[in-house]
Amino acid sequence: MIGIDLGSRHIKIVQMLDGKIIKTAIYDTIKFYRRWGMSADQKLPIDWEELGFAADGITATGYGKIAVDIEGAVHIPEIQAHAAGAVFQTGRHDFTLLDIGGQDTKIIMVRGGKVADFLTNDRCAASSGRYMENMAHVLGISLQELSSHYQDPVSLSSTCAIFGETEIISKIVEGHSMSQLAAGVNHTLYRRFATQLKQLGSDKLLVSGGGAFNSALINIIAGETGYDTQRLENYQFNGAIGCCVYGG
Amino acid sequence: MERIAFTTSIPVEILLAAQKIPVDLNNVFITDPRAAVMVEKAEEAGYPRNTCGWIKGLYTAALESRPEAVIAVMQGDCSNTLALMETLQLKGVPTIPFAFPFERDAEMLQLQIKKLQDYFAAGGAAIHEVKKQLDEIRKLCQQIDEMTWKDNLVSGGENHYYLVSSSDFNSDPLQFKQDMENFIADAGQREPFRQEIRLAYIGVPPIFTDLYTMIESMGARVVFNEVQRQFSMPYKTADINQQYLMYTYPYGAFARLQDILEQISLRRVDGVIHYTQTFCFRQIEDMIFREKIKLPFLTLEGEGPGKLDGRSRMRLEAFINMLK
Repeated sequence: MIGIDLGSRHIKIVQMLDGKIIKTAIYDTIKFYRRWGMSADQKLPIDWEELGFAADGITATGYGKIAVDIEGAVHIPEIQAHAAGAVFQTGRHDFTLLDIGGQDTKIIMVRGGKVADFLTNDRCAASSGRYMENMAHVLGISLQELSSHYQDPVSLSSTCAIFGETEIISKIVEGHSMSQLAAGVNHTLYRRFATQLKQLGSDKLLVSGGGAFNSALINIIAGETGYDTQRLENYQFNGAIGCCVYGG
Repeated sequence: MERIAFTTSIPVEILLAAQKIPVDLNNVFITDPRAAVMVEKAEEAGYPRNTCGWIKGLYTAALESRPEAVIAVMQGDCSNTLALMETLQLKGVPTIPFAFPFERDAEMLQLQIKKLQDYFAAGGAAIHEVKKQLDEIRKLCQQIDEMTWKDNLVSGGENHYYLVSSSDFNSDPLQFKQDMENFIADAGQREPFRQEIRLAYIGVPPIFTDLYTMIESMGARVVFNEVQRQFSMPYKTADINQQYLMYTYPYGAFARLQDILEQISLRRVDGVIHYTQTFCFRQIEDMIFREKIKLPFLTLEGEGPGKLDGRSRMRLEAFINMLK
């Protein structure tokens, strides 16, 4: 079974056999679409062998799943794919899943192994992976560096990803240290989804998506909410794993 | 006959009794294939980008359709209507203010209705006669509504169309009556819809053009359109004073809530979609509905006219899937 998660920044592919992950791959979304293009009937024909996967059943999800139709694939809703992935990865049935994606953040409450409720960020990308990338770029540091600071943050008031850039520049001028600036960015990220996280909170919080890479953010979430917070082992592949589970 | 436009439902009986043609600006705006351009035109005129799409559309609709006057509902609808009225005055469009009283006060409402009646020099007997005729047409709206939730013969989108159109009866009550009679006859011959998930749609009508068809393609159907149904005024009343007092929409979230709770229970609804407009104060009222309605609840937000965006489709699909 192949699971494919069509994200706004990355395409994640997972192959599973007998309940085990046997191969994973990740591609830049734009490059992937450029490579595989669109056929006349609006289906994306992918040569699985060329990618190194053995094509059997294919299940797809992700932001592009309505606009992009993978040839021969069953398409499933994103929220359900992420929930199924987290249940599979942890064996847990009652938790809240926070998925921090490239352009949006999802909070999914799972009870008895099924989606009980969900919220997504409002129409703004300020708490997404893209915001982290932009801020790291403005600060001139790597994502890794950005993701390691959470103490003594500068206060950033803007909730907008674009105005946030202007604000951080003025903080640089004020002479704050890089660690304070990076911590400030990470606290802004948290505040952007904090109220929604509390609305659908559980004692156990699982974190997935590319944004889960940010260890400082996970520290902030755990400290601020008091939830038992855990980053999923295959956090970036969780949606694709969910596809394999859902489709299999 | 001269056309009188309005910004939301008003006692349309008065206009018809005065031999005027009623025009709901909302319907003019949203049914225009250039709806998105109309929003842009208002922005070019100076309307801020972060203002409700409907208000901007209404502004351009009023300027382009040049009615004899616009009745602007100053209380009981959108708080931006004051500025809409003023900017229309700036462009030389005559405006007539109307207000639904905040506390649903019968005397205050009667006074407002009387003022409107005097403005158009409409006689009481003529208004009563029009009300009797419209009551017959409103009954057809109720029949379509029942065919939606009871008989499952009418789609959510068709229900929306006929009920939302009852604010101005498509500017021609007799033709509208004929259209509904034809529709009822046709729909009566159909096989019932089989969608397993029954949804309620609460809030102002959607700015999206494909919401109902999208919902139906996902295996669900709207069987209750809250505000649209209120536009059709499904109550037995002796006069228009009573009728517009029964009407819930202008009297706040709690007046609406009572009607919503009754109807979602009666119609055996599985989940509720609350539609709010971007930049609208009703986004705050979402708190009230979310807390008081004990059913799975999805808040959907729309900004400009057009098809559902990818994100809203994703959320809608996940919500319907969750209910299955």
